Amino acid sequence: MPLLRRLWRPAARHAPLTVPDALRRAEQRRREGRYAEASALVTRALELDRDNLHAHLLAAYLHVARHATAPAKAEFRWVLGHDANHARALIGLARVALEEGDGRACHDLLRRALRFYPDFPEAAALLDALRARDSPPPAAAPAPRVDRLRLPGTGRALIVGRADGGLIAAQPVTDEAKDVSEALARALRLAAAALQRCGLGPVHRAIIDDGRDAVFMRTDGDLVVSLALPRATDPPQGLLDVNRLWSATLHELGLAAATPPIAPPATPVSTPAIDPTRRVS
Amino acid sequence: MSGPRLKLALEHDNATRGRHVRDIVQELKRLHWVRGAMIVAADGFVIAAELPPTVAVDSLAALTATLGRELETSATRLGRPSFSTAMFSADDGTMFLAGSRIGYLVVLADQQVNVQAIRGALSDAVALIEAAWAPPGEVRPA
Repeated sequence: MPLLRRLWRPAARHAPLTVPDALRRAEQRRREGRYAEASALVTRALELDRDNLHAHLLAAYLHVARHATAPAKAEFRWVLGHDANHARALIGLARVALEEGDGRACHDLLRRALRFYPDFPEAAALLDALRARDSPPPAAAPAPRVDRLRLPGTGRALIVGRADGGLIAAQPVTDEAKDVSEALARALRLAAAALQRCGLGPVHRAIIDDGRDAVFMRTDGDLVVSLALPRATDPPQGLLDVNRLWSATLHELGLAAATPPIAPPATPVSTPAIDPTRRVS
Repeated sequence: MSGPRLKLALEHDNATRGRHVRDIVQELKRLHWVRGAMIVAADGFVIAAELPPTVAVDSLAALTATLGRELETSATRLGRPSFSTAMFSADDGTMFLAGSRIGYLVVLADQQVNVQAIRGALSDAVALIEAAWAPPGEVRPA
Protein backbone atom coordinates (compact mmCIF):
# COMPACT_ATOMS: atom_id res chain seq x y z
CA MET A 1 0.00 0.00 0.00
CA PRO A 2 2.75 2.56 0.67
CA LEU A 3 3.91 1.96 -2.89
CA LEU A 4 0.43 2.65 -4.26
CA ARG A 5 0.16 5.76 -2.15
CA ARG A 6 3.40 7.00 -3.66
CA LEU A 7 2.23 6.20 -7.17
CA TRP A 8 -1.12 7.89 -6.64
CA ARG A 9 0.20 10.90 -4.87
CA PRO A 10 -0.94 13.95 -6.80
CA ALA A 11 1.77 15.90 -8.56
CA ALA A 12 3.17 18.83 -6.63
CA ARG A 13 1.93 21.29 -9.22
CA HIS A 14 -1.66 20.41 -8.45
CA ALA A 15 -1.26 21.17 -4.76
CA PRO A 16 -2.53 24.61 -3.78
CA LEU A 17 0.39 26.99 -3.56
CA THR A 18 0.72 29.96 -1.27
CA VAL A 19 2.59 33.02 -2.48
CA PRO A 20 5.57 32.42 -0.15
CA ASP A 21 5.69 28.78 -1.26
CA ALA A 22 5.64 29.72 -4.92
CA LEU A 23 8.37 32.32 -4.45
CA ARG A 24 10.51 29.99 -2.38
CA ARG A 25 10.26 27.33 -5.07
CA ALA A 26 10.91 29.91 -7.76
CA GLU A 27 14.10 31.01 -5.98
CA GLN A 28 15.15 27.38 -5.75
CA ARG A 29 14.57 26.83 -9.49
CA ARG A 30 16.49 30.01 -10.22
CA ARG A 31 19.44 28.72 -8.20
CA GLU A 32 19.39 25.64 -10.43
CA GLY A 33 19.18 27.58 -13.67
CA ARG A 34 15.62 26.34 -14.31
CA TYR A 35 14.35 29.70 -15.45
CA ALA A 36 11.22 28.58 -17.29
CA GLU A 37 9.94 26.71 -14.24
CA ALA A 38 10.89 29.59 -11.95
CA SER A 39 9.02 32.02 -14.21
CA ALA A 40 5.90 29.84 -14.13
CA LEU A 41 5.99 29.87 -10.32
CA VAL A 42 6.42 33.64 -10.22
CA THR A 43 3.51 34.03 -12.60
CA ARG A 44 1.46 31.89 -10.24
CA ALA A 45 2.53 34.02 -7.28
CA LEU A 46 1.51 37.18 -9.15
CA GLU A 47 -1.86 35.67 -9.96
CA LEU A 48 -2.39 35.24 -6.22
CA ASP A 49 -0.89 38.59 -5.22
CA ARG A 50 -0.44 40.96 -8.15
CA ASP A 51 1.25 43.64 -6.03
CA ASN A 52 3.87 41.42 -4.48
CA LEU A 53 7.12 43.35 -4.74
CA HIS A 54 9.35 40.31 -4.28
CA ALA A 55 7.54 38.50 -7.08
CA HIS A 56 7.96 41.45 -9.45
CA LEU A 57 11.66 41.70 -8.61
CA LEU A 58 12.12 37.99 -9.16
CA ALA A 59 10.22 38.27 -12.44
CA ALA A 60 12.64 41.02 -13.51
CA TYR A 61 15.67 38.91 -12.65
CA LEU A 62 14.28 35.96 -14.56
CA HIS A 63 13.64 38.12 -17.62
CA VAL A 64 17.26 39.32 -17.48
CA ALA A 65 18.50 35.75 -17.06
CA ARG A 66 16.56 34.83 -20.20
CA HIS A 67 17.86 37.94 -22.01
CA ALA A 68 14.42 39.55 -22.27
CA THR A 69 15.39 43.16 -21.69
CA ALA A 70 12.09 44.99 -22.28
CA PRO A 71 9.96 43.02 -19.79
CA ALA A 72 12.85 43.13 -17.31
CA LYS A 73 12.89 46.93 -17.47
CA ALA A 74 9.13 47.05 -17.00
CA GLU A 75 9.35 44.88 -13.88
CA PHE A 76 12.28 46.82 -12.38
CA ARG A 77 10.36 50.04 -13.01
CA TRP A 78 7.28 48.58 -11.36
CA VAL A 79 9.35 47.84 -8.26
CA LEU A 80 10.83 51.35 -8.27
CA GLY A 81 7.34 52.76 -8.68
CA HIS A 82 6.48 51.19 -5.33
CA ASP A 83 9.84 51.70 -3.62
CA ALA A 84 11.85 54.44 -5.31
CA ASN A 85 15.08 53.51 -3.54
CA HIS A 86 14.95 49.77 -3.92
CA ALA A 87 18.66 49.00 -4.31
CA ARG A 88 18.26 45.74 -6.19
CA ALA A 89 15.85 47.23 -8.68
CA LEU A 90 18.15 50.22 -9.15
CA ILE A 91 21.16 48.04 -9.92
CA GLY A 92 19.06 45.77 -12.12
CA LEU A 93 17.88 48.73 -14.18
CA ALA A 94 21.42 50.13 -14.22
CA ARG A 95 22.76 46.90 -15.74
CA VAL A 96 20.06 46.97 -18.40
CA ALA A 97 20.97 50.61 -19.16
CA LEU A 98 24.65 49.66 -19.48
CA GLU A 99 23.73 46.83 -21.80
CA GLU A 100 21.80 49.27 -23.95
CA GLY A 101 24.77 51.63 -24.09
CA ASP A 102 23.16 54.30 -21.91
CA GLY A 103 26.10 55.05 -19.64
CA ARG A 104 24.58 58.20 -18.18
CA ALA A 105 21.39 56.45 -17.04
CA CYS A 106 23.46 53.59 -15.66
CA HIS A 107 25.68 56.01 -13.75
CA ASP A 108 22.70 57.87 -12.27
CA LEU A 109 20.99 54.67 -11.16
CA LEU A 110 24.14 53.30 -9.53
CA ARG A 111 24.78 56.60 -7.74
CA ARG A 112 21.20 56.51 -6.47
CA ALA A 113 21.67 52.96 -5.19
CA LEU A 114 24.94 53.86 -3.45
CA ARG A 115 23.48 57.02 -1.91
CA PHE A 116 21.01 54.94 0.08
CA TYR A 117 23.16 51.83 0.47
CA PRO A 118 26.83 52.87 0.49
CA ASP A 119 27.95 49.33 1.29
CA PHE A 120 26.69 47.76 -1.93
CA PRO A 121 29.59 45.93 -3.57
CA GLU A 122 27.95 45.13 -6.90
CA ALA A 123 26.92 48.73 -7.44
CA ALA A 124 30.38 49.98 -6.43
CA ALA A 125 32.07 47.51 -8.79
CA LEU A 126 29.89 48.51 -11.73
CA LEU A 127 30.36 52.19 -11.00
CA ASP A 128 34.14 51.69 -11.01
CA ALA A 129 33.90 49.97 -14.38
CA LEU A 130 31.75 52.80 -15.68
CA ARG A 131 34.18 55.48 -14.42
CA ALA A 132 37.00 53.71 -16.24
CA ARG A 133 34.85 53.78 -19.35
CA ASP A 134 34.09 57.45 -19.03
CA SER A 135 37.65 58.58 -18.32
CA PRO A 136 38.85 61.18 -20.86
CA PRO A 137 40.67 59.74 -23.86
CA PRO A 138 44.43 60.20 -24.09
CA ALA A 139 45.87 62.70 -26.52
CA ALA A 140 45.16 61.70 -30.09
CA ALA A 141 47.78 59.29 -31.33
CA PRO A 142 49.11 59.55 -34.85
CA ALA A 143 47.78 56.90 -37.20
CA PRO A 144 50.33 54.15 -37.67
CA ARG A 145 51.33 53.12 -41.17
CA VAL A 146 49.16 50.02 -41.07
CA ASP A 147 50.22 49.13 -44.57
CA ARG A 148 53.61 48.39 -43.03
CA LEU A 149 52.05 46.03 -40.48
CA ARG A 150 51.95 42.66 -42.14
CA LEU A 151 49.13 40.34 -41.10
CA PRO A 152 49.86 36.64 -40.76
CA GLY A 153 48.64 34.58 -43.71
CA THR A 154 45.61 33.39 -41.78
CA GLY A 155 44.95 36.85 -40.32
CA ARG A 156 41.45 38.12 -41.03
CA ALA A 157 41.55 41.60 -39.54
CA LEU A 158 43.76 43.92 -37.56
CA ILE A 159 42.33 46.73 -35.49
CA VAL A 160 44.41 49.32 -33.68
CA GLY A 161 42.35 51.40 -31.29
CA ARG A 162 42.48 53.44 -28.14
CA ALA A 163 41.31 52.09 -24.79
CA ASP A 164 38.26 54.39 -25.03
CA GLY A 165 37.24 52.58 -28.22
CA GLY A 166 38.42 55.20 -30.70
CA LEU A 167 39.64 53.62 -33.92
CA ILE A 168 43.20 54.46 -34.95
CA ALA A 169 43.65 52.11 -37.89
CA ALA A 170 42.24 48.95 -39.38
CA GLN A 171 43.31 46.41 -41.92
CA PRO A 172 41.34 45.79 -44.03
CA VAL A 173 39.26 48.95 -43.75
CA THR A 174 35.61 48.10 -43.24
CA ASP A 175 32.51 49.99 -42.21
CA GLU A 176 32.24 47.99 -39.02
CA ALA A 177 35.87 48.48 -37.86
CA LYS A 178 34.85 51.45 -35.67
CA ASP A 179 32.05 49.45 -34.04
CA VAL A 180 34.36 46.49 -33.48
CA SER A 181 36.98 48.74 -31.90
CA GLU A 182 34.39 50.20 -29.53
CA ALA A 183 33.00 46.78 -28.64
CA LEU A 184 36.43 45.34 -27.90
CA ALA A 185 37.30 48.34 -25.75
CA ARG A 186 34.07 48.02 -23.76
CA ALA A 187 34.76 44.34 -23.11
CA LEU A 188 38.35 45.05 -22.10
CA ARG A 189 37.26 47.74 -19.65
CA LEU A 190 34.81 45.41 -17.93
CA ALA A 191 37.37 42.59 -17.88
CA ALA A 192 39.98 44.98 -16.47
CA ALA A 193 37.58 45.98 -13.70
CA ALA A 194 36.90 42.30 -12.89
CA LEU A 195 40.61 41.42 -12.84
CA GLN A 196 41.39 44.42 -10.64
CA ARG A 197 38.62 43.38 -8.22
CA CYS A 198 40.31 39.97 -7.96
CA GLY A 199 43.65 41.64 -7.28
CA LEU A 200 45.19 40.24 -10.46
CA GLY A 201 46.44 43.54 -11.86
CA PRO A 202 45.76 45.29 -15.15
CA VAL A 203 44.70 43.30 -18.20
CA HIS A 204 47.39 42.82 -20.87
CA ARG A 205 46.14 40.11 -23.20
CA ALA A 206 42.83 38.65 -24.24
CA ILE A 207 41.40 36.05 -26.56
CA ILE A 208 37.74 36.16 -27.54
CA ASP A 209 36.53 33.13 -29.44
CA ASP A 210 33.18 33.34 -31.19
CA GLY A 211 33.10 29.97 -32.87
CA ARG A 212 34.26 31.41 -36.18
CA ASP A 213 37.24 33.60 -35.32
CA ALA A 214 39.49 33.99 -32.34
CA VAL A 215 40.36 37.61 -31.65
CA PHE A 216 43.77 37.96 -29.97
CA MET A 217 44.32 41.25 -28.17
CA ARG A 218 47.15 43.09 -26.52
CA THR A 219 46.72 46.28 -24.49
CA ASP A 220 48.61 48.51 -22.10
CA GLY A 221 45.57 50.39 -20.86
CA ASP A 222 45.92 53.12 -23.50
CA LEU A 223 46.30 51.28 -26.77
CA VAL A 224 44.54 48.12 -27.99
CA VAL A 225 45.82 45.96 -30.84
CA SER A 226 43.53 43.13 -31.90
CA LEU A 227 44.10 40.49 -34.51
CA ALA A 228 41.34 38.17 -35.76
CA LEU A 229 42.57 34.72 -36.67
CA PRO A 230 40.74 31.48 -37.45
CA ARG A 231 39.30 29.86 -34.36
CA ALA A 232 41.56 26.83 -34.75
CA THR A 233 44.68 28.95 -34.22
CA ASP A 234 46.84 27.63 -31.43
CA PRO A 235 46.67 30.22 -28.58
CA PRO A 236 50.46 30.59 -28.17
CA GLN A 237 50.74 31.11 -31.94
CA GLY A 238 48.02 33.76 -31.97
CA LEU A 239 49.50 35.53 -28.95
CA LEU A 240 52.90 35.51 -30.65
CA ASP A 241 51.41 37.08 -33.77
CA VAL A 242 49.60 39.80 -31.84
CA ASN A 243 52.76 40.51 -29.83
CA ARG A 244 54.66 41.03 -33.06
CA LEU A 245 52.00 43.41 -34.35
CA TRP A 246 51.93 45.18 -30.98
CA SER A 247 55.66 45.89 -31.16
CA ALA A 248 55.38 47.02 -34.75
CA THR A 249 52.42 49.30 -33.93
CA LEU A 250 54.30 50.92 -31.03
CA HIS A 251 57.20 51.53 -33.36
CA GLU A 252 54.93 53.07 -36.01
CA LEU A 253 53.38 55.30 -33.38
CA GLY A 254 56.81 56.38 -32.22
CA LEU A 255 56.23 54.88 -28.79
CA ALA A 256 58.98 52.27 -28.92
CA ALA A 257 62.04 53.63 -30.63
CA ALA A 258 64.21 50.65 -29.78
CA THR A 259 61.84 48.05 -31.24
CA PRO A 260 62.70 46.63 -34.64
CA PRO A 261 60.40 48.31 -37.15
CA ILE A 262 58.76 45.22 -38.58
CA ALA A 263 59.40 41.85 -37.05
CA PRO A 264 58.70 38.92 -39.34
CA PRO A 265 55.31 37.31 -38.72
CA ALA A 266 55.18 33.99 -36.94
CA THR A 267 53.09 32.64 -39.80
CA PRO A 268 53.31 33.44 -43.53
CA VAL A 269 52.09 36.92 -44.45
CA SER A 270 49.10 37.74 -46.60
CA THR A 271 49.83 38.96 -50.08
CA PRO A 272 48.91 42.63 -50.59
CA ALA A 273 46.78 41.72 -53.60
CA ILE A 274 44.50 39.56 -51.47
CA ASP A 275 44.46 41.81 -48.45
CA PRO A 276 44.35 45.46 -49.49
CA THR A 277 45.17 47.91 -46.73
CA ARG A 278 44.50 51.57 -46.17
CA ARG A 279 44.89 54.05 -43.37
CA VAL A 280 41.60 55.05 -41.87
CA SER A 281 42.63 57.92 -39.67
CA MET B 1 40.35 18.22 -28.04
CA SER B 2 43.44 18.50 -25.88
CA GLY B 3 43.55 18.94 -22.12
CA PRO B 4 41.67 17.35 -19.29
CA ARG B 5 38.03 16.50 -19.70
CA LEU B 6 35.44 16.97 -17.02
CA LYS B 7 34.40 13.65 -15.60
CA LEU B 8 30.77 13.99 -14.61
CA ALA B 9 27.87 11.64 -15.00
CA LEU B 10 24.89 13.93 -15.21
CA GLU B 11 21.53 12.56 -14.30
CA HIS B 12 18.86 14.48 -16.11
CA ASP B 13 16.63 14.62 -13.08
CA ASN B 14 15.43 18.10 -12.29
CA ALA B 15 15.80 17.57 -8.56
CA THR B 16 19.54 17.01 -8.84
CA ARG B 17 20.44 19.91 -11.10
CA GLY B 18 21.49 22.12 -8.24
CA ARG B 19 24.03 19.51 -7.22
CA HIS B 20 25.19 19.13 -10.82
CA VAL B 21 25.92 22.82 -11.08
CA ARG B 22 28.06 22.63 -7.99
CA ASP B 23 29.77 19.51 -9.36
CA ILE B 24 30.63 21.30 -12.58
CA VAL B 25 32.14 24.21 -10.67
CA GLN B 26 34.10 21.87 -8.40
CA GLU B 27 35.45 19.92 -11.37
CA LEU B 28 36.63 23.13 -13.01
CA LYS B 29 38.32 24.16 -9.78
CA ARG B 30 40.23 20.88 -9.67
CA LEU B 31 42.00 21.62 -12.96
CA HIS B 32 45.70 22.38 -12.86
CA TRP B 33 46.58 26.02 -12.04
CA VAL B 34 42.91 26.91 -11.47
CA ARG B 35 42.24 29.03 -8.37
CA GLY B 36 38.47 29.10 -8.51
CA ALA B 37 35.35 28.87 -10.61
CA MET B 38 31.81 30.16 -10.61
CA ILE B 39 28.57 30.03 -12.57
CA VAL B 40 26.72 33.32 -12.64
CA ALA B 41 23.35 34.00 -14.25
CA ALA B 42 23.01 36.80 -16.79
CA ASP B 43 21.37 38.93 -14.09
CA GLY B 44 24.47 38.65 -11.89
CA PHE B 45 22.98 36.03 -9.58
CA VAL B 46 25.60 33.56 -8.32
CA ILE B 47 24.36 30.04 -9.07
CA ALA B 48 27.45 28.28 -7.68
CA ALA B 49 30.90 29.49 -6.69
CA GLU B 50 34.16 27.99 -5.50
CA LEU B 51 36.42 31.02 -5.26
CA PRO B 52 39.31 31.99 -3.01
CA PRO B 53 38.14 33.85 0.12
CA THR B 54 40.02 36.95 -1.00
CA VAL B 55 37.70 37.38 -3.97
CA ALA B 56 34.53 39.44 -3.45
CA VAL B 57 32.08 37.07 -5.09
CA ASP B 58 29.18 39.48 -5.59
CA SER B 59 31.31 42.17 -7.19
CA LEU B 60 33.00 39.69 -9.49
CA ALA B 61 29.63 38.19 -10.40
CA ALA B 62 28.17 41.60 -11.27
CA LEU B 63 31.14 42.44 -13.47
CA THR B 64 31.45 39.08 -15.22
CA ALA B 65 27.72 38.89 -15.92
CA THR B 66 27.88 42.40 -17.36
CA LEU B 67 30.95 41.42 -19.38
CA GLY B 68 29.22 38.30 -20.68
CA ARG B 69 26.17 40.30 -21.75
CA GLU B 70 28.42 42.92 -23.33
CA LEU B 71 30.15 40.25 -25.43
CA GLU B 72 26.80 38.78 -26.45
CA THR B 73 25.06 42.03 -27.30
CA SER B 74 28.09 43.34 -29.21
CA ALA B 75 28.18 40.17 -31.28
CA THR B 76 24.47 40.53 -32.03
CA ARG B 77 24.90 44.19 -33.04
CA LEU B 78 27.79 43.27 -35.33
CA GLY B 79 25.94 40.31 -36.82
CA ARG B 80 28.48 37.84 -35.54
CA PRO B 81 28.08 34.56 -33.64
CA SER B 82 27.99 34.98 -29.88
CA PHE B 83 31.24 34.38 -28.01
CA SER B 84 31.90 30.87 -26.83
CA THR B 85 34.93 31.49 -24.61
CA ALA B 86 36.92 34.54 -23.65
CA MET B 87 40.21 34.82 -21.80
CA PHE B 88 41.67 37.90 -20.15
CA SER B 89 45.18 37.78 -18.79
CA ALA B 90 46.79 40.10 -16.25
CA ASP B 91 50.12 40.22 -14.39
CA ASP B 92 49.00 37.93 -11.59
CA GLY B 93 46.37 35.71 -13.12
CA THR B 94 43.96 34.89 -15.87
CA MET B 95 40.18 34.95 -16.10
CA PHE B 96 38.16 32.76 -18.46
CA LEU B 97 34.52 33.22 -19.35
CA ALA B 98 32.18 30.94 -21.28
CA GLY B 99 28.52 31.37 -22.15
CA SER B 100 25.99 28.63 -21.40
CA ARG B 101 22.25 28.11 -21.36
CA ILE B 102 21.95 28.97 -17.67
CA GLY B 103 24.60 31.67 -17.36
CA TYR B 104 28.32 32.32 -17.57
CA LEU B 105 31.05 30.00 -16.40
CA VAL B 106 33.94 31.90 -14.89
CA VAL B 107 37.37 30.42 -14.13
CA LEU B 108 40.18 32.23 -12.33
CA ALA B 109 43.61 30.72 -12.86
CA ASP B 110 47.30 31.36 -12.47
CA GLN B 111 49.00 33.12 -15.33
CA GLN B 112 50.90 30.02 -16.46
CA VAL B 113 47.69 28.01 -16.94
CA ASN B 114 47.32 25.96 -20.11
CA VAL B 115 44.89 28.13 -22.08
CA GLN B 116 43.84 25.38 -24.46
CA ALA B 117 43.18 22.96 -21.58
CA ILE B 118 40.88 25.41 -19.82
CA ARG B 119 39.08 26.30 -23.03
CA GLY B 120 38.51 22.58 -23.63
CA ALA B 121 37.28 22.05 -20.08
CA LEU B 122 34.90 24.98 -20.41
CA SER B 123 33.53 23.58 -23.67
CA ASP B 124 32.95 20.27 -21.90
CA ALA B 125 31.21 22.01 -19.02
CA VAL B 126 28.98 23.97 -21.39
CA ALA B 127 28.11 20.74 -23.21
CA LEU B 128 27.19 19.09 -19.91
CA ILE B 129 24.93 21.98 -19.00
CA GLU B 130 23.37 21.90 -22.45
CA ALA B 131 22.73 18.17 -22.17
CA ALA B 132 21.14 18.49 -18.76
CA TRP B 133 19.16 21.71 -19.14
CA ALA B 134 18.00 21.80 -22.73
CA PRO B 135 14.45 20.65 -23.36
CA PRO B 136 14.34 17.29 -25.18
CA GLY B 137 15.12 17.66 -28.87
CA GLU B 138 16.76 21.03 -28.39
CA VAL B 139 20.32 20.02 -27.49
CA ARG B 140 22.84 22.12 -29.40
CA PRO B 141 26.33 20.99 -30.27
CA ALA B 142 29.02 22.33 -27.95
